[in-house]
Formats: sequence, C-alpha cells, structure tokens
Amino acid sequence: MYAGWTDHHRGCDSWLCRLPAGVKLPVAIGLVLAMVAVPARWAVGLWGFAGLLALLLAISGVSVRLVVRKLLLLEPMVLVIAVAAAFQPAGWRGALLLASRSTLCLATMVLLASTTPFMDILRVLRRWRVPPLLVTTLMLMHRYLFVLADQAHRMRRARQGRTFTPRRALVWRHRAGIIAHLFVRTSDRAQRIYWAMSARGWR
Amino acid sequence: MAVNALEVANLSFHYPDGSAALQAVSFVVAAGESVAVLGPNGAGKSTLLLHLNGLLPESRPHDGAVRVGGQPVVRANLPEVRRQVGLLFQDPDDQLFCPTVFEDVAFGPRQLALTEEQVRQRVEEALTRVGLVGFESRLPHHLSQGEKRRVCLAGVLACQSSILVLDEPTSGLDPRGRRELKALLRQLPITKIIATHDLELAAELCPRTLLLDGGRLVADGPTLQLLADEPLMHKHGLERPHLLDHLHPHGPVAGR
Repeated sequence: MYAGWTDHHRGCDSWLCRLPAGVKLPVAIGLVLAMVAVPARWAVGLWGFAGLLALLLAISGVSVRLVVRKLLLLEPMVLVIAVAAAFQPAGWRGALLLASRSTLCLATMVLLASTTPFMDILRVLRRWRVPPLLVTTLMLMHRYLFVLADQAHRMRRARQGRTFTPRRALVWRHRAGIIAHLFVRTSDRAQRIYWAMSARGWR
Repeated sequence: MAVNALEVANLSFHYPDGSAALQAVSFVVAAGESVAVLGPNGAGKSTLLLHLNGLLPESRPHDGAVRVGGQPVVRANLPEVRRQVGLLFQDPDDQLFCPTVFEDVAFGPRQLALTEEQVRQRVEEALTRVGLVGFESRLPHHLSQGEKRRVCLAGVLACQSSILVLDEPTSGLDPRGRRELKALLRQLPITKIIATHDLELAAELCPRTLLLDGGRLVADGPTLQLLADEPLMHKHGLERPHLLDHLHPHGPVAGR
C-alpha cells in the first residue's frame, strides 16, 4: 500500500477529526465561497483566512508535513492558471490574488479531507440528495486511486529491477510506458469492476 | 423431479476478435453439488463462469443456453439470476469497489430492497462467517490479500445466493488462508462451482470435475478418477496431484 499518505489521517483523535462530517463539509464549503467572494480591494483579508486555516491545522492533530505535501501536489495546477492570468488586464497582481485564493481553497479542502474519512463525506452527500451516480463515481474514484497508485508503483519497481544503465531519456520513456500501460489496464479493470457490480445486483 | 441448479446446453462464445472462447459446452449441475472446473490458462474457465451469472454475452439477445434454477438466463431474468448466483472474482481488487468493508459487504443486500437493519444483520452474519468481525470500518487498501478475499466472499454470502461460483478462490493465499477458506467452503451447504488450478482443493471439495481446454469440455466425471488419469492431465496442461498417493481409499472424497 504505497498511496497511504493520500488517505485521511488514520488514528487522528483531535476534536476537529471527531467533529461530524455533516458540520465540517458545509463549513468548508462556506469558507471556500467566502474566500472566492473577497473583493480584490480587500485582498488583505485573505491573510485572515490563512491565519484561521493555520490555527485549525495546528489544533487538528494532523501532520503539517502531510498537509503541505498534499497541497504541493495540487499546486502545479494553480501555477498554470496563475501564469495564464498574468497575461490578463489585471496583470501579475491579479495572478497573485488568483494563486492565493486557489491555494487557500485547496488548503481548506485538504484539511477537510485529512480530518474526515471519505466515507463520511459520501454519507453527507447522500443525505443532501446529491445524484447517486455522482456519489458512486466519487466512491469508485477514491477506492481505485489506491489500487492504481499501487499498480504504478509495482510497475515502476519492476522496470527499475531491469534497468542497468539509468539515462534521463530512458527514464522518461519508461514513465510514458507506465502511463500508457496503466491506461490499458485501467480500462480492462473498469470492465471487470462493472461485472462485479452487476453480479451483485447493480443496475 | 427436482429442478437442476444449473443447466448449460450447447453454449458457445466468441470474443470480439473472433477467437472462440467456448465451443458447444453442455453440462448439468444438481442442487447441492460441488463441481470443480479445471483446465490450463486460457481454457475458457473464467468466461464460462461469467456466463453463469449472465455477465456474458454482453451483446443481446441472450440465447438462453444457460438455465439457473430452471429459468433461462435472458435479459428479463437477470436480476433474479444474479440474486441466485453469487460470483467471486479472481482479483479481489475488482470486487472490492466500496471505500469500507461494511459498505462493500452491504452492497449486494442493499440491491435487494431490504431495510437498513436487515442489511446490517446480513453484513454482521457474513463477516462472522468469514471471521472478520470488527473489520467493518477498515479500508480495502489496508487489508492483506487473504483478508480482501474473505471480504469478497462475505459480500457474496451476504446476498444469500443458492449457487456459489468461485474463480480461483485460493490464488494469492498463504497456506493458512487457503486452509481456512477450504474449511469455510466445506461448511456451506449450497451448490458450488469452483474454477481453479489448485488440484488439491478440487480433490478435497469437489466430488465432480469439468475439464475444459481450448473452450471445449473435454471431460466430465468424478474428480479423483480424472485427476488419477495421468495422460489426460498431461495432455491438458495439468498434473496428477501428489495428494492422490496419500489418499485413503475410503476417505470422504474418495468415491462419488
């Protein structure tokens, strides 16, 4: 199991972890909406949100390193959007504001995910009558993220076991090969998962 | 006359690339019987099992070559067929698609329009049966291979099917896991169809064997008799298990 660090913090027993998902999820969504709604002239207010998140993180009992690592994993996406925004009329100030907003929103969601078992979030979504197909899709995505990560790790290790002259070009070619293989295997697996669901009455 | 649990009459199937996976396979399984499906890799064992649950052929119409409990496996009967036939897949990661053990075992019962209390009871019973009480909130990717396999079996048992179809149930299990699974299967008084390369499992649990090769049913008879036929075993990529050398002639599985 190599993707465990992407999983919610196991054994977390702080009050934030114990707080029901039915409370945390709407609060997190509310925070995100508030961050997005802060007008540009009051951008300094974003520091307040950053402080609040830092405080919550500090008392959450969740490893700060883990949260930062997850955030860094998502950051390239933010940077790409920010760079694109830099060429807009608002210029680099606008880009910086966009990057700050996005990072804070992501941090809120990462903190939520790190303190709440995913199944609890799905239960809340079901209670809110989110379309069942969407909830099932989220459920499958979460479940198979770990299977895929494990599979990629095993394939990478198998390649490494037969790599005697590591060259940069070769490494990249191998990576591309692993991604291509994963696509094919995932498509096969999707078929088998569908069969397994049908076999137990899914319609 | 008692209705047969399964009837397969002249079943053929071709993969989309045109290669024949099953060719005119016919057999009947009586209720309560335990039957092993043996054969080399690519013999068509898994394809046959998928037909028993109505998962293949995907293209319509189903021709009714398979009958479960007397009912033809056609589109209109699929929900009932799938309720009666519990299918255990070869790779537990294909079958465990829910985020927690409880949710996964509850998946089948929830399709049966039971109350949440009845679902909970079924999950509890199934987990007790496979020895995994206390695993309800565990996540599938934190389980060992043996535990995953047992959760899969619990998921099938929770549906209370009358026919259990197992695809390589002992692959990837350590000797203890294998022994426990065999003991569990032996206790289940329902019809069992087990596709396996584990010849000892076949000899110990299944008085009857279907031997498949190249999509054809090449032999159908008493397991010990087929396994002891060395030329037949070698011809179809199998071997005579050592177990036969130590079997008591009047042992529980010696005669059928």
